[in-house]
Amino acid sequence: MTASSAGRTGQPARRERLNPLTSLAAAAATAAITTAAGSWQLSLTVIAACLGLSVAGGTSRRVLPAAAAVLVPFALSLLVLHGLFFPEGRTVLAEWGPARITAEGLHFAGQRILQLAAVVLALLLFSFSVSVPDLVAALSARGVQGRFAFVLASTLTLLPAIAGRARRIRQAQESRGLVISRNLVSRVGAFRLQAVPLVLSLIEDAGTRAAALEARGLGNSGPRTSYREVPDSGQQRTARAVLVLAALAAVVLRVVQPGA
Amino acid sequence: MSSPSLTLPSQERPAARRRLLEILGALAIAATYVYLVLNQPADITGGPGSASALIALTGFLAGAVLLIVAVLPTLPASTLVLIPVALVLNIVLGQFVGSTLVPFYLDAIGTVLIAVLAGPAAGAATGALGSIVWSFFNPTVLPFAAGAALIGCLAGLAARYGLFRRFYLAPVAGFVTGIIAGVVSAPVAAFVYGGTSGVATGAIVSAFRAMGDTLLAAITKQALISDPMDKAIVFTIVAILVYALPRRARQQFPFIRRYRVLAGNGKAADTQAGAAVEDTAQGTAHGSARNG
Repeated sequence: MTASSAGRTGQPARRERLNPLTSLAAAAATAAITTAAGSWQLSLTVIAACLGLSVAGGTSRRVLPAAAAVLVPFALSLLVLHGLFFPEGRTVLAEWGPARITAEGLHFAGQRILQLAAVVLALLLFSFSVSVPDLVAALSARGVQGRFAFVLASTLTLLPAIAGRARRIRQAQESRGLVISRNLVSRVGAFRLQAVPLVLSLIEDAGTRAAALEARGLGNSGPRTSYREVPDSGQQRTARAVLVLAALAAVVLRVVQPGA
Repeated sequence: MSSPSLTLPSQERPAARRRLLEILGALAIAATYVYLVLNQPADITGGPGSASALIALTGFLAGAVLLIVAVLPTLPASTLVLIPVALVLNIVLGQFVGSTLVPFYLDAIGTVLIAVLAGPAAGAATGALGSIVWSFFNPTVLPFAAGAALIGCLAGLAARYGLFRRFYLAPVAGFVTGIIAGVVSAPVAAFVYGGTSGVATGAIVSAFRAMGDTLLAAITKQALISDPMDKAIVFTIVAILVYALPRRARQQFPFIRRYRVLAGNGKAADTQAGAAVEDTAQGTAHGSARNG
């Protein structure tokens, strides 16, 4: 599962100097500006830049499968949808019955796919290269609720653990004679036999964890001290401000003159 | 938890401000939807439609974030700890369904489960947070945060008004939730992505497009076909799961106790329901063993 590895892996030492908020701002600004610009040249440039960065940063082996898993079904769906059926299209390239391939439809689909690919790659590049503990520490230092940080970090660490537990429950049920056949009823039964023990044990665990966290003052407000130092510098702060302003400017420009 | 915290009481933010944030969040989502539906025809054929995409993204995301900011600080620790579990359940159970080739996505089981156990506010926060955390692996779910929050909120309301007390009412509530959620999510699919994420749903949209519908109309109709069925199944699964929980596990949630969410609070009724559930479990086990 590609998803489980995102939260855990360490970084190349070189990247440690970048504040996670800076890379988040860069990814979000790239996504916003690409969407606002809506030009395929810019989208292609962003795709190429993201691919280059992920190869340079050594994350390409995880970013590419994750991006493909998202983008391939999307691209197929958009191509079928707009390539074959685009009632607004005028330039007909081929026609079978109700399905017409129009130049406008293909153009629309292609533009959307490129735009989407640029946004997805930029955001995935961020999430697969960021160190989650650093991000959590940086967010709490900014006054973002410790609770949000808890949910984020806890989900990313629980995901592989719970996937493992689901696997063990399936093995246990299979050793008791559970066979999943093609029959829908047996599939529903199999789902129930696996889901009920999983959910039960998870809710039990959560109750225990809640008591432990409550005893350690999770519910209290007030400032928290973090032992983790997140690197930051004046330059990065300026860069973040510039990125956010650029993204805002792009969005405002685009919304003010939709015809542009 | 049923036992009060031993630490000092925290200084809560004034409730009025939280209420204001909640209302602002809901307003942002509603206003974005109305704007998109009113402005759609000229935009979508006129070009890449990125102005609408930006408005959809900004409005829905801002609404979802406002809801999270308003709700998250009010949740008790027992609910807060369940949220990551729910998010993982969304993913793990969704994957399980995908691997057994049932033609539904069922990616909201955890959200609805939390909503039934802990109420509409917790459900809404779980839905929105789930989209944000899941977008670490699949950025395309990020704009659907508002729709997911709506599903959680509606599921919680259904639980609060007793729709989970009768087993046959749960799928009905799911069906209605699916209609509302599908209608709200359709503009995101139309304006941000220009289509849907799956090949199968894409085929349904294509069919409506072939009949000459606008893109938004086609996607809304597709959502009205897929979403109500999907949510009816999700609500049924959650009802089965909740009734299969031991009494001690479900009675630890104040929401369930306060609004008498589940049938059979009396001891006798509860053991009867438990026995019935045991029976069906045995039956299915035998059934699947025989099938194999």
